[in-house]
Amino acid sequence: MIRLEGVTKRYPNGHQGLVDVSMTIHRGEFVFLVGPSGAGKSTLIRLLYGEERPTTGEVVIDQFRLNALNWRQLPRLRRQLGIVFQDVKLLPTRTVFQNVAFAMEVVGASRKDIHKRVPQVLELVGLARRRDHYPEELSGGEQQRLGIARALVNHPSYVLADEPTGNLDPETAAEIMKLFQEINRRGATVVMATHARELVNQMQKRVVVIERGRIVRDDAKGVYAYESK
Amino acid sequence: MSLNSIGYWIREAGRSLWRNSWMALASISTVTIALFVLAVFVVVSVNVNHVTGLLENEVEIRVFIKPHVDRRREFLLMREAENWPGVRKIQFFTKQEAAEALKEEFPDQRTLFQLLQKSNPLFDGYDVYARTPTAIPPLARRFAREPIVHNVVYQGTVVRRLSRLATVLKWAGWVVEALLGLATLLIIINTIRLAVFARRREIQVMRLVGATSWFIRWPFILEGLTIGFIGALVADAAVGLGYHWVVQQAAISLPFWPMAAFRVVLVHTTVFTLAGGLVVGALASVIALHRFLRV
Repeated sequence: MIRLEGVTKRYPNGHQGLVDVSMTIHRGEFVFLVGPSGAGKSTLIRLLYGEERPTTGEVVIDQFRLNALNWRQLPRLRRQLGIVFQDVKLLPTRTVFQNVAFAMEVVGASRKDIHKRVPQVLELVGLARRRDHYPEELSGGEQQRLGIARALVNHPSYVLADEPTGNLDPETAAEIMKLFQEINRRGATVVMATHARELVNQMQKRVVVIERGRIVRDDAKGVYAYESK
Repeated sequence: MSLNSIGYWIREAGRSLWRNSWMALASISTVTIALFVLAVFVVVSVNVNHVTGLLENEVEIRVFIKPHVDRRREFLLMREAENWPGVRKIQFFTKQEAAEALKEEFPDQRTLFQLLQKSNPLFDGYDVYARTPTAIPPLARRFAREPIVHNVVYQGTVVRRLSRLATVLKWAGWVVEALLGLATLLIIINTIRLAVFARRREIQVMRLVGATSWFIRWPFILEGLTIGFIGALVADAAVGLGYHWVVQQAAISLPFWPMAAFRVVLVHTTVFTLAGGLVVGALASVIALHRFLRV
């Protein structure tokens, strides 16, 4: 369970990232965070994976209280999370297989486990036949699938995605969205910040609208709608 | 930490050294130079200590008896001299014992031992210890007047001068080493920083998927240690070969100058260069990482 309680994030330059945000996300949910650029969606995601700390308020994920998270606990939290970015952050000198394997290697997985698990995830995201290619040889959609494979390989309970379809054409974006739906169906909680209006509307999932750092709507089967000025 | 992780760390450290091989080479060279100077100081001070130690144990007056004087007359003079004013202790030695002592003093002089084993040209004699330094010259003169005495040797100020020299050398050595150490430290820090910079994407991904800080640090620390280790080996080898050569040359042209044994010197230089190289290498990595890898 993810719980935010009166969370405010103020940056040193005076910019308000979030203002008094409270919400709860249960295990197995699929939640869209929508809103204009700079409204605070990314800030919220960054708070969830411990890259930033709230100025006031509480952020709790399962047993982890993120306000007081020390350097020992942060890696433990991160192993529960799979994080997907708009710029996928792939390693250009490693192949598809090695990019995914890297995520297992650095948390101390054995060779045997790596060689068993990586093909499974590549199969899931549809990159099994591309395993020996380098990231620059992949299309944008394939690169994002690779990013998702890397996020999933360590069996995270939560998948956090920040504009994962931002750079993709609508058709590819729809496929990526289907992939997230499949991931959610298999049990992971998904929290996604996005601008993809039509996809959000099709999916009929929970939609949280953020404007100027505040939650202005939170609908269980919501649509992508906010006052755009 | 598992075996998988250790394998990963070693691979990564090697890969990084290879990728930045020019910078690594530059660091290794500076480490080598700094450690070479350190090793030279170690060699000199081991030798100074060797000589000082020999002279300190050395008797204050050494009296040599003429050859072919019989044992009875040698003992007679010794009994008598024991009661002379200023004498604290007298020890008799045979020429065989003198030969043994020489062997200890010049451990690398093999030809000398062979010579001593064939025919021993040394003398019997006494080691005479005086009560006060001022009693030494008159005692020496008194022994010299005895008919069975071949000659008398004494030294005193040499020991004091040598130990003063050793102190000065030690301090000068530390100052030079501190400066060289600092230069080395800065260069290795720079190398590790470059290595961290070259791997910033990997580091970012590692942190995102939950690698621990120590897991991320180890390859860089290994890299620093490797630079220090290789530098130490090269410096030690250079000094070792150099000293071996000097000892051989000295055996020919300065046969009676007591050089410290090659093995003893090599043990000292190895310990100092390895410790110096590893400490500087590890320290530099830790400092370089401190700024980049705060979680």
